[in-house]
Amino acid sequence: MQILDLIPSLSPIAASDGSGFTPFITIELGTIIFVLLNLLIIYLLFKKFLFERVQKILDARQNDVQAMYTDAETAKENALSIEADYTEKLSQAKDEANELVRSATKRAQIRGEEIVNEAKEQAGHIKKRAEEDIEREKKRAINQIKDEISDIAIDAASKIAQKEINAADQEKLIEEFISM
Amino acid sequence: MNGPKLIFQLPFGINITETVFLSWCIIVAVALLLLYLTHDMEKVPTKKRQVIAEWIVETMNNLVKENMGEKFMGFAPYIAGLFTYSILGSLIGLIGLRPVTADINTTATWAVTTALMVQIVKVRTSGFGGYLKGFAEPVAAITPLNIISEFSTPVSMAFRHFGNIAAGMVISSLIYMGLASLSAAIHLPIPLLQVGLPAILSLYFDIFSGFMQAYIFCMLTMVFISSAAE
Repeated sequence: MQILDLIPSLSPIAASDGSGFTPFITIELGTIIFVLLNLLIIYLLFKKFLFERVQKILDARQNDVQAMYTDAETAKENALSIEADYTEKLSQAKDEANELVRSATKRAQIRGEEIVNEAKEQAGHIKKRAEEDIEREKKRAINQIKDEISDIAIDAASKIAQKEINAADQEKLIEEFISM
Repeated sequence: MNGPKLIFQLPFGINITETVFLSWCIIVAVALLLLYLTHDMEKVPTKKRQVIAEWIVETMNNLVKENMGEKFMGFAPYIAGLFTYSILGSLIGLIGLRPVTADINTTATWAVTTALMVQIVKVRTSGFGGYLKGFAEPVAAITPLNIISEFSTPVSMAFRHFGNIAAGMVISSLIYMGLASLSAAIHLPIPLLQVGLPAILSLYFDIFSGFMQAYIFCMLTMVFISSAAE
């Protein structure tokens, strides 16, 4: 280490001592020019290859996010309008269903009454026919009894008369007996 | 202590030194890293490197927005580039290379760039007349001091950064030399005492100091430029 080296020197080639070193503090035009160029280059490198590229990506992402928000907003509005639509339709459907139930109930009531009336009518018919049957049976029974009585009467008469009469006379006799 | 090594000479006395060569290496590394980070970016990030790229951009944008305001957002890539150049320029010391920030030409170039930006912003804000009149404020008598102040700002910035890194480098090599002679004095066959202490010191001088100076330089650049617009 040489103390002399520490002394600022303005000589561009103080390294002419053969050591190949420049002095510790000196003005090197070459260094200044190239450091300035390098500073410019490093600035441009950062600008072109880092900041602009990243900014482009960030902007693209920002746009995407914006678009996503807009889409979401539209979708939400759509969903809301659809929901309102459905709510309305649903209440309409409910009303319709209520109406249906009401009319069905009414119809069922009417039909029920009809059925009951029909049944009553039929029952009436059946009853009437039964009564007629009974009447007819009654008449027949009476006639039968009449016949039997006439037979008995003939038996009795013939036994009482103890005489022979022909069938025509007998018939006549019976008729007279009955109509007495 | 030597300055950066001379690699070759161009005509008109333009020297290509270690600093310039290592700066080129840093540029190439940064370019490759950035191309890797931003390669195949997607709207929905699936790769970690895209997350890192976005984090860097957002962090720098926030930093610039906080310190300079919305209208200076164009400075974000410059500040990011300057910060990266500075931090890598200091940290290459860790792998045994000469930090490019331990060369006064590097830090001075950056500082003068900042100072020029400050002057441009001042002229743009208040016009050339207003800019010149600004030197005589608040009283005309203070004009020389204002002019000195404009020059001293880049000088102090350049020497602060250069001084911290270069001093760390000088102290580190002094300690290495001291430990070597101490090892020799107690008849160790190899300079064993060089193990340990320099690593701990390197944490401060290379890593902490490197980050601090990069941060300070960028903060000062932002603050000076934004306050020039007032």
